[in-house]
Amino acid sequence: MFQYTIRRTLLIIPTLWAVVTVVFFLIRIVPGGPAVAALGTYATEEQIRTLEHQMGLDKPVVVQYVTFLADLCRGSLGKSLITQRPVAKEIAQALPYTIDLTVAGMVLGILMGVPIGIFCALNRNKTPDYLGRVGSLVGISMPEFYLGILLMYVFAVKLDLFPVIGGGDLRDWGSRLYHLVLPAFTLGIVMTAFISRMTRSSMLNVIGEDYVRTARAKGVSERMVIYKHALRNALIPTTTVIGLYAGILMGGSVLTEIVYSRPGLGKMMVFAVKDRDYMTLQTVIVIFSAAVFFLNLVTDLLYALIDPRIEYH
Amino acid sequence: MKIRSISILAMVFLLVGVVLPATADAREQVVRVALKASDIRSLDPDYGTTTIDYACIDPMFNALVRFKPGDMDPEKIQPDLAEGWNVSPDGLVWTFYLRKGVKFHKGYGELTAEDVKFSLEKAANKETSGFAKDFDALEKVEVIDKYTVRLTFKEHIPSVLGLLTDYHGGYIVCKKAVEEIGLEKFKTNPIGTGPFMLKEYFPKQKLVEVRHDEYFRGRPLLDKVEFWFMPDASSREMAFRKGEIDICEGEREQVWVDKMRKVPGTVVDIFGPGETLTLHFNTSKKPFDDIQVRKALAYAISREELMDFLGKDVTEPLVSPIPTSYLGGITDVALYAFDSEKAKAFLKEAGLEKGFTFKKVITEMSDYRRPMEQIQAQLRRTGVDMKMDVITHSAYHGQIRKDVNPVVLYICARFPTADSILSQFYHSKSIVATPTGITNFSHYNKIDDLIEQAGRETRIEKQKALWANAQRKILEDAVAYPLCITKFVFCQEELCGSRVRNEVDPDSGRYH
Repeated sequence: MFQYTIRRTLLIIPTLWAVVTVVFFLIRIVPGGPAVAALGTYATEEQIRTLEHQMGLDKPVVVQYVTFLADLCRGSLGKSLITQRPVAKEIAQALPYTIDLTVAGMVLGILMGVPIGIFCALNRNKTPDYLGRVGSLVGISMPEFYLGILLMYVFAVKLDLFPVIGGGDLRDWGSRLYHLVLPAFTLGIVMTAFISRMTRSSMLNVIGEDYVRTARAKGVSERMVIYKHALRNALIPTTTVIGLYAGILMGGSVLTEIVYSRPGLGKMMVFAVKDRDYMTLQTVIVIFSAAVFFLNLVTDLLYALIDPRIEYH
Repeated sequence: MKIRSISILAMVFLLVGVVLPATADAREQVVRVALKASDIRSLDPDYGTTTIDYACIDPMFNALVRFKPGDMDPEKIQPDLAEGWNVSPDGLVWTFYLRKGVKFHKGYGELTAEDVKFSLEKAANKETSGFAKDFDALEKVEVIDKYTVRLTFKEHIPSVLGLLTDYHGGYIVCKKAVEEIGLEKFKTNPIGTGPFMLKEYFPKQKLVEVRHDEYFRGRPLLDKVEFWFMPDASSREMAFRKGEIDICEGEREQVWVDKMRKVPGTVVDIFGPGETLTLHFNTSKKPFDDIQVRKALAYAISREELMDFLGKDVTEPLVSPIPTSYLGGITDVALYAFDSEKAKAFLKEAGLEKGFTFKKVITEMSDYRRPMEQIQAQLRRTGVDMKMDVITHSAYHGQIRKDVNPVVLYICARFPTADSILSQFYHSKSIVATPTGITNFSHYNKIDDLIEQAGRETRIEKQKALWANAQRKILEDAVAYPLCITKFVFCQEELCGSRVRNEVDPDSGRYH
């Protein structure tokens, strides 16, 4: 298991290299560039060319790529082409908020989704099951930004329970959590919908298995049957969904950050694309890719914990 | 006495209206402004070009002269850091006498002529300024003594005070701060003399400015101003309704204006001079090299329909390339009033009786896309099919400067004189995709002499006459079609508006 973990971890190097390379060349194919965005619309062609020269954007793309890789190996993430601030500094400011949001969204999704899925499975074809299934359908269909605006309108504007904008002060946990509630629920509700459906479906499969019938026949309490025998097996496919959805969650955080005017890497990435801020965009995508990579690794390792029959070599 | 009594009234107003109900900021007078933007470009005033940049930069800097607060008339420019000035008989040498005791932010000392020289030379240098081209006529800046600076120009320009006002390149920065911090870091750590100074900048989220206690016009009443970058309209509106934002940039749409007017305690401000919307016909691309085709399109477009669509409250007609709110703007020009039959007749003369199809790119930004979609529908009635590819805003500006579009919609606000628009959009030096190119999308080159003559002219009436001729010629040649002006739309919490207005005495322009 340890060797497997090390081997998988080392695979991140070629994976990230591939991601960086694709992003590097792709964004440079798209029309537009950072010089016009940085200088504004009054700039002459000459000024734009001068700034592109200062940014190194007039060099052949392959030369720019090699320079970028060399800087990356030296640990330099470069400067934002628009603000001229170190990318590392800008990311350091935004990253904690994205981690907060993604983790909170995932935790809520799991804490709500798994019990709801179990409850629906145990009350199959009864009213709670129908309500659960309709609810999950609505949750899956609802765009995150729309859900965010709805939650904002009800709980922040009308009921005045939560703030609308900002991420709170990083040094103050109370402020951080207070600003996290609505955005986390925005992401968590959608994730709940996916997980509850998956949990319900896999629970129904497992509940019908022979070993569950045997456990009941042996007089094991229903609670033990469900939570010790059935759920553990039902969680394997659910774990897959959670691992896959983690990547989707990060994508969802983009819109959530914009709607709630929360700082974060997702927002940074969107605006980096709009402004053609190549350095910021490349770095943020590398971070997202690394996060998805490790989440998938954790998911795989969790299988081994849940199901002792699974061994990694 | 008047200033003191108004100050007391303002304080009472603040105490009554702002302190109650108590909030976390009860003792701190804060104004929170939500701007429709993702972020600033730069806090270096020689690079900040967008409306958002100005909103954040202007409170932190002063210039030698300034627009009278609340008024964009360049003929009412008044002293700011300079108390007064002398002009040589030939109009080429300007000597400015600085106020004494003006302090920079954060303990950077007193403003002197050295700072002015440094700032203007920085603004005139293409390596350190996006406005260097405006300073082409500036020959040298000399320090005469600690509070006197002399500017010598190589030739006349339309407005020296306009060049030096609190606008493009006119802001004065702290020489010592730039040399200590470095130019790159200065872009996010500005040091000026304005009533507010930078406290905190959180990229893509907000910028916080706090009052400068040593501001030369007096200690500001507000403690803090927060600028929040909120591109999503719904978020801005919600934050405003909840009271987390005091002033909110709105959408330039009638529907939005009507909706917000119904919100209790809200004042919707719609104000100019606004931004001009103009269609530029690229005369280097067929069939727009044919004046008949250009005239046909001009007659096929209905300004009134467009303004109805965008909103009567948020638009004003624009019949000439220069709006009347600008120095030199006129209205007695060839008016291409909507006439479908005339449009078809011109197309027939051009041999395009059945109409034609052309393709262009347009930005996703709604301020551009919506009017263009309306124009697309209008042109279709005459048999002209305009196909549009929607791209990002930054890509749009890159592409139109590469001369890809046969027709370009451009929205802009410039220094309010005719010269600024004429030089950038209609002089041959500004033709796009050339080394000196700026925004002459039509490739027009027939009024260079009029523009240059007006630039050198010292008599204002003669200058205006030359500008008027230039405008008439542009429309006779139908290289551009002025559509309308869209005004700025902001809404503010009723009490906040009074607080902010009470900051400045409208007659003296002095902060209390």
